[in-house]
Amino acid sequence: MTELVAKNVDSADLVIIGNGIAGLTAAVEARRLAPERRVVIITEQSHPTINTPALKQFAIGKLSREQLLAYPAGTEQAQFIHVINARAEEIHAQDRYITLKGGRGFGYGELLIATGSTPTGLPPDMPGADFDGVLTLHRLYDYLDLRRRLGEVEEAVVIGGGAHAIETVMSLLYWGIRVHWLLRGDTFLSRMLDRPASDMVLDSIQRAGARVYTETEALGIVGRVGTVAGVVTNQQELIPCQLVLICTGTTAMTSLARHCDLKMKHKQGILVDDQLRTSVPHIYAAGDVAAIKDPQTGLYAPRAQWYAAVSQGRMAASVMTGSSPAEELGIPWHATRLGSLSMLTVGNVLQWQDTTTTLTDSSKNSYRRIAVIDDRLVGYLSLGPAQPDSLAIKRIIEEGLSIRDIQKSLLKGTFDARRYFSRRRTYSAQRLVTTGKLPVAEELEKRMQAIRNQALQPQANRLEEQMRLARALLAPDPVATTNFFERNTDEDLQLFADPFVAAPVELERFREQRENMSVAAPVGASADWLTAERGFPTESKRPVKTSHIVESTLVKTPETARAGRSPSGSLWSYSSPLPAVKVNKPETPGAATSSVPDTQQRGRKGQFKAPLQKNGKQRPFDAYPSSSLWSYNEKKRMKGH
Amino acid sequence: MLRTGLSKRGSKTVSLHKTGPQVAQELVACIGCNECLLACPALDEAITIDVLNRETLSGPISTPVARFARSCFQCGACVAPCPVGLSREAMMMWLKVRLLRSGWG
Repeated sequence: MTELVAKNVDSADLVIIGNGIAGLTAAVEARRLAPERRVVIITEQSHPTINTPALKQFAIGKLSREQLLAYPAGTEQAQFIHVINARAEEIHAQDRYITLKGGRGFGYGELLIATGSTPTGLPPDMPGADFDGVLTLHRLYDYLDLRRRLGEVEEAVVIGGGAHAIETVMSLLYWGIRVHWLLRGDTFLSRMLDRPASDMVLDSIQRAGARVYTETEALGIVGRVGTVAGVVTNQQELIPCQLVLICTGTTAMTSLARHCDLKMKHKQGILVDDQLRTSVPHIYAAGDVAAIKDPQTGLYAPRAQWYAAVSQGRMAASVMTGSSPAEELGIPWHATRLGSLSMLTVGNVLQWQDTTTTLTDSSKNSYRRIAVIDDRLVGYLSLGPAQPDSLAIKRIIEEGLSIRDIQKSLLKGTFDARRYFSRRRTYSAQRLVTTGKLPVAEELEKRMQAIRNQALQPQANRLEEQMRLARALLAPDPVATTNFFERNTDEDLQLFADPFVAAPVELERFREQRENMSVAAPVGASADWLTAERGFPTESKRPVKTSHIVESTLVKTPETARAGRSPSGSLWSYSSPLPAVKVNKPETPGAATSSVPDTQQRGRKGQFKAPLQKNGKQRPFDAYPSSSLWSYNEKKRMKGH
Repeated sequence: MLRTGLSKRGSKTVSLHKTGPQVAQELVACIGCNECLLACPALDEAITIDVLNRETLSGPISTPVARFARSCFQCGACVAPCPVGLSREAMMMWLKVRLLRSGWG
């Protein structure tokens, strides 16, 4: 018996190293796909998986610690995922086991490396880098540290030229801290933004109150009795400050690739094919550590972003369990908020400047740049007060749709993705009907029958139907409404409401378009040596799965909810009779006259906010036993009165 | 795409909805920053974003989330603050559809 237990613990079918979002997503997804396999996560991290992009909101007190959790607490136990807190040190790929710290071995069937990244930090020989108050922001503990310090800081220096740095700058400004931002180059995010876009961002940050120092590097940090007092720059300047934040980017944690007995290819990250396989059999990599191929350029690079990590985790799970992945990794996509501006980059805007047509537009306080080959979009960059429908644009590029009709609206930022896709769907449905050519997928036949029946109704009949629908929605006519709802049987709802339904719509055409695009796009320095040496196909032969737009319908109202109410046909009219907004104003005396930033005033829900002090500054968050404003006020009232 | 029929002005259809796959994709892209919930005028519960995301498309719907879905009146205040450009409003719509189908009304 004891032998059996020991055997069970010392090996697992699926071993995942790292419990970042890629690792945990892979584990949960693998559990769903293969309920009978043993899934083990090995991690050094002593806290559960958190929403790392939300750490800055956490540091400035907009979120509580519990709200950081990416999955509800106890998900691992509930999903029967065994978590081992240890450091994985070596991979013995020939015998398929890893060694943990202390020499303990652990066997694996399939191994996923999701170790993430480490911050690059300051050069190790930088004088003063070990003073108290020099923080490299990367992990939860760094942000906990920052959160504790914020209350006593008046001036801070932020070093780094990426999106991470700018988000940090904005967080500090939110707390009313004077911020000095040091950039090594003279533009911001030089690989993703062009000069006008970068200038626009720097401008808006300056307007928000930060001091921006371009082409400036820190030479050393000056301290007083062990704590930071200032930063000396290469412009012969001393910037006094109490806090130095380092946001100089991240490096993939490739140490496991170096400590593997078979040669695992790695450069900036562990090189993987389009199904996340490394160059060693049975070993996969996902998340910040994996360098995946950009399908447009053919170059391998890690994608250190949340969305990329989640989708890679899902893909790794399906490849490791032997099921076919639901979606492809696609092209790079990055959306974030830079101060008051929303930034979106999709695809490659700055590549192939001599072969693509580049169009720019800088109206209405915003900037957009699109790169087009023929009538296909290959890159999109947008900066402005509002974020466009970013995933829709990603889809347009990935599917290689013609943008002839929407080029102007894309450029002007008025693109309405919902209308565009719904119209496309309507056309394709019409085409299916008029040509009589339907995709003959076996399991889809029944679903298609419903659509066909609906669409093949005589024209006059359909018009009448539409008029009745319109009447039902405009006027509360009980008879018409009932008829309408009766027409939508439960089977129809089942058909339309399944969110993961995918069907090949115009599959051939999409494939053709994609091929055309990849031929038209000149490929840069390709990394085909990876393929050549090991001989695995970088392009899988599995069928391209095209997501199908599922049309939704109105839903039948339950009888109980409809009783005593006029049926207006709209879904949100069935809300509870309670008032939707509960006005609970904090009774802090200084709140009304204080000069806090607008964002603080606007928040309505006290449970996420610390109360305001008389001078308009927020109190340090740790002053309260719970993050709830109401409970605090209650207590105060009970004490005082 | 939900066609609600004719608007009062004329023959224009009103688009309210995103398709299921789109909503599923947006849920994957959500970074959990909570900005949408901070901007929400109808939220009166201690809901965390991970629970809301998890219950939007599948699984059982817990009582606080159901209550929140019922008090949501689709004002769209959650869409503008999203740093990654997702529409929480469409996700709430799906949650409501599921809620109605599960008989919670």
